[in-house]
Amino acid sequence: MSKNGPLALAYHTLFVTFMLAPILVVCWVAFTPEGFLSFPTDNWSLRWFYAIARYPEFVSAFWRSLWLGALSSAIAVAVSVPAALAIARYRFPGREAMTTLFMSPLMIPHIVLGIAFLRFFTQIGLGGTFVGLVLAHIVIVLPFALRLTLASAIGLDRAIEHAAVSLGASEWVVLRRITLPLVLPGLASGWALAFINSFDEVTMTVFIAAPGTETLPVRMFLYIQDNIDPLVTSVSACVIAITVAALVVMDRAYGLEKLLVGRGVDGR
Amino acid sequence: MAFLTLDKLTKKFGTHLAVDGLSLEVEKGEFIALLGPSGCGKTTTLQMIAGFVDPTAGAIRLEGRDLLAIKPAKRGLGIVFQSYALFPHMTVAENVAFGLEMQGVAATERAKRVAETLELVGLGAFAARFPRQMSGGQQQRVALARALVIRPNILLLDEPLSNLDAKLREEMQIELRQIQRTVGTTTILVTHDQAEAMALSDRIVVMNQGRAEQIGPPHEAYERPATPFVANFLGKTNLVNGTTVRPEKISFSTSGLAGKVRTRIFQGNHWLYQIDTDSGLVTVIRQNTGETMPAEGAVVHLVWAPSP
Ligand SMILES: Nc1ncnc2c1ncn2[C@@H]1O[C@H](COP(=O)(O)OP(=O)(O)OP(=O)(O)O)[C@@H](O)[C@H]1O
Ligand SMILES: [Mg+2]
Repeated sequence: MSKNGPLALAYHTLFVTFMLAPILVVCWVAFTPEGFLSFPTDNWSLRWFYAIARYPEFVSAFWRSLWLGALSSAIAVAVSVPAALAIARYRFPGREAMTTLFMSPLMIPHIVLGIAFLRFFTQIGLGGTFVGLVLAHIVIVLPFALRLTLASAIGLDRAIEHAAVSLGASEWVVLRRITLPLVLPGLASGWALAFINSFDEVTMTVFIAAPGTETLPVRMFLYIQDNIDPLVTSVSACVIAITVAALVVMDRAYGLEKLLVGRGVDGR
Repeated sequence: MAFLTLDKLTKKFGTHLAVDGLSLEVEKGEFIALLGPSGCGKTTTLQMIAGFVDPTAGAIRLEGRDLLAIKPAKRGLGIVFQSYALFPHMTVAENVAFGLEMQGVAATERAKRVAETLELVGLGAFAARFPRQMSGGQQQRVALARALVIRPNILLLDEPLSNLDAKLREEMQIELRQIQRTVGTTTILVTHDQAEAMALSDRIVVMNQGRAEQIGPPHEAYERPATPFVANFLGKTNLVNGTTVRPEKISFSTSGLAGKVRTRIFQGNHWLYQIDTDSGLVTVIRQNTGETMPAEGAVVHLVWAPSP
């Protein structure tokens, strides 16, 4: 690898600073002893971390967000697999339309989706329910799941499946023993990206969540509408710490690059 | 009755005739090469035998039975793909064992046959490796072992050696022929390399635009080509005064067709000459026997025996 010149080095430093600064500031402010957002601060205190304990709805919202993300992403990936395999290998009427339909949530503003789902769910009696949240989140994370699943389905050499068939494997065995293991890295990255998007979503969710089904970002958003104290910064700091810990664990277990960039098992 | 019969096999893609009424009878144990330029329908023919492409018309019979009525998974054919198509997430041993597993062969018997077959292709020590940890030539052998271990009715090879460098290709040709003789499996090889087809097969099928131009033993097709296409495809030819002559059949003499050496290229075991004559440019190949040969610019006389 070639060495970076001074200009490139300055650029990279600036870029990284720009990326990390907000995160660092949030974590810093979280340790303030004051009753308002103060920065910079000279004194340190864990006051606002202890304060989280007095707001159990933040903790339950965190778990809800986690389940919501995990579940909606898993369902989105499960739906993506047959769709991606069909789009990748067959030319059929409605193929373009199907791709566009699955990708369309990317192009619709989330606030529009939020209002639409609010009306729709109220109509069918799913307003403010967890099931409703899951359904809405499946819709918004589907493009991410499908994109990465599709990439690995297209990269799959048909001859490998033909080889398995010629050796006597039934369609089901080919799917289970050959196709799925080979697209698995794509599924994992698709799931991870979908999860991140679900966990992060607030614009749409704020419309369809009710007290009791609020996700963490929604809870935080509503909290800062009424309060000016630094509680949300300590909550954010906890989420950041958990994220970093999760990333470290995943990197140890699988290699982050493989998961997020979607490298195949054999490095293709 | 022939072992494998292709009867007026035809495949149309839209309006394009990829394979056009191909008929062929293959005897048990025979090594057949489908030879032809790119796009002449070789792979399509092989895929129809394998069952991955449905013929538009015609029939395929294996020992008299209609092969087209049998699903690809039940045909019992061994296939080696051009890209090898090894299972990247399985070890070499698991790759080779896959077909036996599908047949429900018991684990101990399976392990024994996998070991035997890997030994046959010279990969006894590589069972635990993954395909990505092996060279192209080694992967090619794994693909061959995986196809052979199920004791296939017919072995289908689609350009199995074209990804290898020239030297390794020659070694593998010799090895492939030996292995085929050892196991005695009826084999159909697809290739666009005429040297490979002639080196390996009992009979070659020279294909052009979906049709078989000539079917016969390599020597016969080379010496008595049925069409100008076959003559040109199987080797260099000269057209002198209306007759075709192979370059190696022409020798230098004191009398005969006069000409002047335009270029002379040394190729180790032989010399390649291009000679300007009154009848046009003539290519001549002479064995290198160690003697001094006419240099560029020299005046020579060419003689050849009339072709049969
Ligand atoms: N699925 C397909 N759809 C349309 N046309 C096809 C299809 N498969 C093959 N063809 C056409 O049929 C003809 C024969 O193709 P085939 O793959 O059999 O050639 P080949 O002899 O194996 O050539 P190569 O040496 O390049 O592999 C080609 O003109 C090709 O473009
Ligand atoms: Mg081909």
